[in-house]
Amino acid sequence: MTDYPVITATTFLPLVGAAVVMVSRSDRLARWIALVTTLATLVVSSPLYSSDFKKEKSELQFVDEYANWIPTWNVAYEMGVDGISLPFILLATVLTVLCVGASWTAVRTRVREFYAALLVAETAMIGLFAAANLFLFFVFWELIVVPIFLLIGVWGGPQRVYAAVKFLLFTLAGSVLMLVGIIALYNAFGTLDFEELAGKTLPLDTQTWLFVAFLAAFAVKVPMFPVHTWLPDAHTEAPTAGSVILAGILLKMGAYGFLRVSLPILPGAVEIFLTPMLVISAVAIVYGAYVTLAQTDVKRLIAYSSVSHMGFVTLGIFTLNTNGVEGAILQMINHGIISAALFLCVGMIYERTHTREIRDYGGVAKVAPTYSTLLALFCLAAAGFPGLNSFVGEFLIIAGSFATKKWLGVMAIWGVVLGTTYLLWLFYRVVMGELNPGLEGLKLELNAREVLTLAPLAFLALCLGLYPECVLSYLHAPVAQLLSAGAAP
Amino acid sequence: MNIAISDLALIVPELILTGTALVLLLAAGRIQAPSPIAAVTVLAALAAGVVSYWPLPDGPVTGFEKMIAVDDYSRFFKVLIASALAVATLLSVSRTDAERVRPAEYHALLLLASTGMMFAAGALDLLTLYLSLELTTLCSYILVGITVEKPASNEAAIKYFLTGSFASALLLYGIALTYGVTGGKTDFERIAQALSESSSGSHPILLVAISLLGAGLAFKVAAVPFHAWAPDAYQGASAPVAAFLAAASKAAGLAALGRVTLIAFESEAGILSVVLSGLAALSMVVGSLIALSQTDLKRLLAYSSIAHAGYALLGFIAGEAGATMTYAFLYVFMTLGAFGVVIALGERGETLDGYQGLAAQRPRAAALMLLFLLSLTGIPPTAGFAAKFVVILSVIRAGNVPLAVLAVVCSVISAFVYLRVAVLMYMQEPAEPEPSPWPKAVSAAVAVAALVTVIGGIFPGSLTSWAVAPDPALSIIGAR
Repeated sequence: MTDYPVITATTFLPLVGAAVVMVSRSDRLARWIALVTTLATLVVSSPLYSSDFKKEKSELQFVDEYANWIPTWNVAYEMGVDGISLPFILLATVLTVLCVGASWTAVRTRVREFYAALLVAETAMIGLFAAANLFLFFVFWELIVVPIFLLIGVWGGPQRVYAAVKFLLFTLAGSVLMLVGIIALYNAFGTLDFEELAGKTLPLDTQTWLFVAFLAAFAVKVPMFPVHTWLPDAHTEAPTAGSVILAGILLKMGAYGFLRVSLPILPGAVEIFLTPMLVISAVAIVYGAYVTLAQTDVKRLIAYSSVSHMGFVTLGIFTLNTNGVEGAILQMINHGIISAALFLCVGMIYERTHTREIRDYGGVAKVAPTYSTLLALFCLAAAGFPGLNSFVGEFLIIAGSFATKKWLGVMAIWGVVLGTTYLLWLFYRVVMGELNPGLEGLKLELNAREVLTLAPLAFLALCLGLYPECVLSYLHAPVAQLLSAGAAP
Repeated sequence: MNIAISDLALIVPELILTGTALVLLLAAGRIQAPSPIAAVTVLAALAAGVVSYWPLPDGPVTGFEKMIAVDDYSRFFKVLIASALAVATLLSVSRTDAERVRPAEYHALLLLASTGMMFAAGALDLLTLYLSLELTTLCSYILVGITVEKPASNEAAIKYFLTGSFASALLLYGIALTYGVTGGKTDFERIAQALSESSSGSHPILLVAISLLGAGLAFKVAAVPFHAWAPDAYQGASAPVAAFLAAASKAAGLAALGRVTLIAFESEAGILSVVLSGLAALSMVVGSLIALSQTDLKRLLAYSSIAHAGYALLGFIAGEAGATMTYAFLYVFMTLGAFGVVIALGERGETLDGYQGLAAQRPRAAALMLLFLLSLTGIPPTAGFAAKFVVILSVIRAGNVPLAVLAVVCSVISAFVYLRVAVLMYMQEPAEPEPSPWPKAVSAAVAVAALVTVIGGIFPGSLTSWAVAPDPALSIIGAR
């Protein structure tokens, strides 16, 4: 075992980095400090992926505990990881490094504040997935809102203020109800520890309203139909790094909340709400896909596709069988990788063309073969092409939903077909055909830094597609534990 | 009446403040420089705070024939009031000069107002309570109008005075009726005894008495519908005075309200909880909603302080004084911090438009303001979140989930209020030239407020646990 508190160090190193960035003298220095910090965070977290982490255990590992954090409330500082949270921590640390790389030249104003906000967001992301009690979970849940609000509102597109405020109000409106739920749980049991709470039973009517309170927070973050309307604005207006964090991590927080809170602590209410949740998920898949088809703005198109893809995730979670839940978690990771990659691709070309309209593109393959290849890879991955990562996740979810209700599986397959349509159509319109006259004379091909930024994601997409067990092996034990505890009435 | 001279030992903090005020008034002719006078005031406030914090050797005691108490409850509020006085004094240094206010008189009034507040925190008798609150409000009227050259300040003082004297009259009527109903009692303990012994608990006159007392005290904490004075007074007054009123005066009002409701009228808890719930709900809703349309920062913070009075009352509604005390403590510092930034920015800080592009010009000022605004919204990990957590927990513990939901819904509305400032600071281009550098005293005051806001958020309870000990605060009833 390592002799430093791995989780705590991983979580708060970026915060320290943010402070250093703020006092740094020049923008250039700020960039380098941010890069070094994010890479160091990755290094510091590396023991998590070594053999010190026991995949066969379902409980939290690498636990850092300080029992006397808030003695008056009996709330301890406890952080730890299990097989479910581990891949998300890796995803968050990797994506932040790529965000720093992707913003290297794209962000030119108030550079120090930008990187500081990004690093604070990283702390919040890691902390959320490592939180071992609801109190810490909520603290990080809210903490991430502030840097993202600033990222969208300060460095975003033309409609950035509207998008930022809308994002913040939607999120807050959801999370305050969760706060009431958390306080009610605390009042009932005097503890907020996830593991202790999972062992308690609440009366069914209390469970029901608590489920609704938590649903308000989680549904907004996922986002589930019909509270998804903040997402297209936020994703579209955010700077590339903001979109990557939003699509890569923020959207996973809600689904992660279902897995950490709703399923283990409120199993009775989950039974009651099962059918509505499945229906809403299926609606999100199909409705989201149709809306995506109609988009003319590249970024908005990818944003809407997230609604559809996250529908798969919630569908998988609420099938409550091993295939569905494991598929959902895998798909969360997959979507984190792919949507981040797609937003990065869009951001890179936007930096050169300054347009996001699909009709302004065309024939990019003629001048930028590397870019087109990578974009093809990510589009195919997103469409669920066999051999690439989403295929496995979607397959597991569809298998899980057929096991629950046949029509759900049919809806999901319909969603896959639509997904393939809008992604390949997007690819066709942007990359294939004759070069759009408006693009002539622009250097569209990627430079080495950009290729380096995309390469890890391409590698992960292939890796998870060819050998999904590298993530799934982490999931088996905790998911089995989750379903065995949750299924018992 | 037989008062032992040793009882004076119980009011040392108040004596320090009064003595300093008198010395300042005597010296008023000789010393005109604001800095030494402010320094003396801060020292006096700190001394009073330290003495108040020191627990008495033989536990909670009463003095002056049970007119005042020195217990955890009063100690807590006295420390809070003394700290608010110290911070507000630091905030005033640069302003007394700029606004041509005679510093000695100004600071003497601050000291006397604080003396009244401290007595109110320890009052165990309706008459002590009334007198101490009057001392406070009389000084506050003058403080609001002290910038004689500004017509707005005079107007605010007159408005405040008219509504304030009306509220005082209500309070006095309430006291008189209580005196009548209980057969000649004014001290809290005997009132409680008399009320619990008489079977006619809900005597109609008692209801009137409670309503009048409630109205009078609600005025002091600026709870809706007795809030109308606050926006006018804050806007017209010099910003440091507004900060002092929003922080210390609110804390003192809460202290008084808590003692009256939780001790004197303990047997009427049912009616009181309805009355207080109404006040709290209205304050939260109206305060947050009206703040939405404000363009003057002091007015905006006034409505915010009205909403916060509502949140603070939640603790009393649940019968948990400790929750309200925690809320009051943390609220005082975050609101002082927000006012501190307003003051530091001078004229520019007082209008909403002045915040345009502040983050580009003064990143640290903007970051501090953001911290205070987030705290006022109640976003973790700031003190405001810890404060909200405590009061909402107390109402949920009391089984009042709807009120808890209302509270959090209002906090979303208020988020929009504070957000507007954040949007202007961070997401707009600067429209005005860079503000001048901050006076040192203001920086120090804001730093203290920021420190409390951060520590109170990261280690909730660390700053307030000493008064919210297992035996919550109101231990004096048992003391003899």
